[in-house]
Amino acid sequence: MSAIDRLSDEFSRLPGIGSKTALRLVHHLMKASKDDTRRLARALVDVADKVRACDVCGNFSEHDLCEICSNPRRDVSVLCVVEEAYEVGAIERTGQFRGLFHVLGGRLSPLDGIGPDELNVATLLRRIDGSRGEIREVIIATNASVEGEATSVFLEQEISPMGPRVTRLARGIPVGSDLEYVDGTTIAQALAGRREM
Amino acid sequence: MHLSALSLRHFRNLRNQELELPREGVALIGDNAQGKSNFLEAIYYLETLRSFRGARDAQMLGFGEEVFRVVGTTEGGDDEPRGVQVAAAFQKKGKRKKVSVDGTEPDRLTDALGHLSAVIFSPSDVDLVSGGPSERRRFLDIVLSLNEPGYVRALSDYRKSLSRRNAALRAGQPWSLVSVWDQGLIRAGAEIMVARRDWIGTRASAFGDYYARVSGGRRARMTYRPNVSLEDAASTDAVEHAFREALEAARDREARRGVTVAGPHRDDVRLQLSDEGDDLDLRDYGSGGQRRTAALALRLVEAMTIRERRSRRPMILLDDVFAELDGGRSERILELMDGEDTGQVVLTAPKDADVRIRRDALPRWRIQAGEITT
Ligand SMILES: [Zn+2]
Repeated sequence: MSAIDRLSDEFSRLPGIGSKTALRLVHHLMKASKDDTRRLARALVDVADKVRACDVCGNFSEHDLCEICSNPRRDVSVLCVVEEAYEVGAIERTGQFRGLFHVLGGRLSPLDGIGPDELNVATLLRRIDGSRGEIREVIIATNASVEGEATSVFLEQEISPMGPRVTRLARGIPVGSDLEYVDGTTIAQALAGRREM
Repeated sequence: MHLSALSLRHFRNLRNQELELPREGVALIGDNAQGKSNFLEAIYYLETLRSFRGARDAQMLGFGEEVFRVVGTTEGGDDEPRGVQVAAAFQKKGKRKKVSVDGTEPDRLTDALGHLSAVIFSPSDVDLVSGGPSERRRFLDIVLSLNEPGYVRALSDYRKSLSRRNAALRAGQPWSLVSVWDQGLIRAGAEIMVARRDWIGTRASAFGDYYARVSGGRRARMTYRPNVSLEDAASTDAVEHAFREALEAARDREARRGVTVAGPHRDDVRLQLSDEGDDLDLRDYGSGGQRRTAALALRLVEAMTIRERRSRRPMILLDDVFAELDGGRSERILELMDGEDTGQVVLTAPKDADVRIRRDALPRWRIQAGEITT
């Protein structure tokens, strides 16, 4: 296999990239400066060699502890549980959350043989237990999918008896959308989760 | 609103054809196995994005072909001012289905459902009455998916929760891991039960009327037979509560059998002859003619649902439906359809004598070996 074929083969394994897009990316790189291409290659190697899971929360990290866990200004009394590490960024970008995270690494999925043992559940429970009451609230930010909901039910069952308040991200009308075009389930959930003004 | 143009590419034996359909409809005449039903299947594919005969997409590819494509254009009328173009294609490689509405791919395939507002009548409809409960559930699910906002979503959530709960049960997981699926199952399941109960409840008398008018006298009844007992459960909350209790009561049995036994996936619709004192189940005791009449009545109620819920005149597709009905019944159905507020009619028949709907006003097309001549 030629170098070009090898690269386009690698690209086409990435999600959302078909063989045509893969070839287009390769052609783009052929035309780009060699420095640009080498910088891309180094970035890829760095991600492979340096990034790993944070020892405490499972977030992406280049050290034992991620930037969030090692930041002394974060609020250690609130823990936000997400399914995947890339979701930490989505919440961080809001600038509204000052607490810490815990990454499950997936969701309950019995069809794929994924139960609590395949997820970072034991570490989460040990972390709450080990905080001796310092963690006062656990926000469950799993997805609103069928599996994300079941995972939240399971976590609530496990965490509530340990003491912390367990909350769930509110679901409702997407910002900027007309009520007329929002489906009934979403409106019903938004109604159930309404708040005082 | 009516279907004004239809473009076919390699759909079954229909090959490549561009057809313009008359506003009132058309009668397609041809011998058996020439492709009459395929033509209706192609039209109805644009309504539900699946075969009304239960065929898989790959089975509808023309012989040796890689892709089929059906494009329908509707023209507005007084019931629906704006026309729409629905295109559906299937590619054998990767089993890819591609659907667009006015050139745009919807976020979800289900957003493209129901643009023709069509109802199809076919001889296999008798299975709705003679077949098992799953036939009747499928009927309900299609009618409600097309006419009740939110039903498709509830059905999809229910199936997801159910398959995962069953996987947990099958794997013998502890109850704390089985029951995490209950909340989703119960919420979606209650929505489904309420929608089914409402639909059957509000249309049971129409079903009885249609049956009486086609049969020329006797009446029939349609009642909801939910798997979860809903006797005192009026509100959705109460239905959820009843479902939760049913699951709790079934817990030992479910753990033993490794499958969820309570819920709307085991619902049924009972169809009975209701005169002469006791009610006879049509499935067990109905004659062939009575069962076919009940099936027709169900389809007429479906058409009525489209009129009521979508405020459109339903397009009527008739697949050789008079072949197996006696003369009296056929006449009464034709009268009934002429009298109802229906839209375009597309029917198939083996010979000219069968085409009397709309007082012979329908233009006649012929089909031979998949080739349609207008
Ligand atoms: Zn961390």
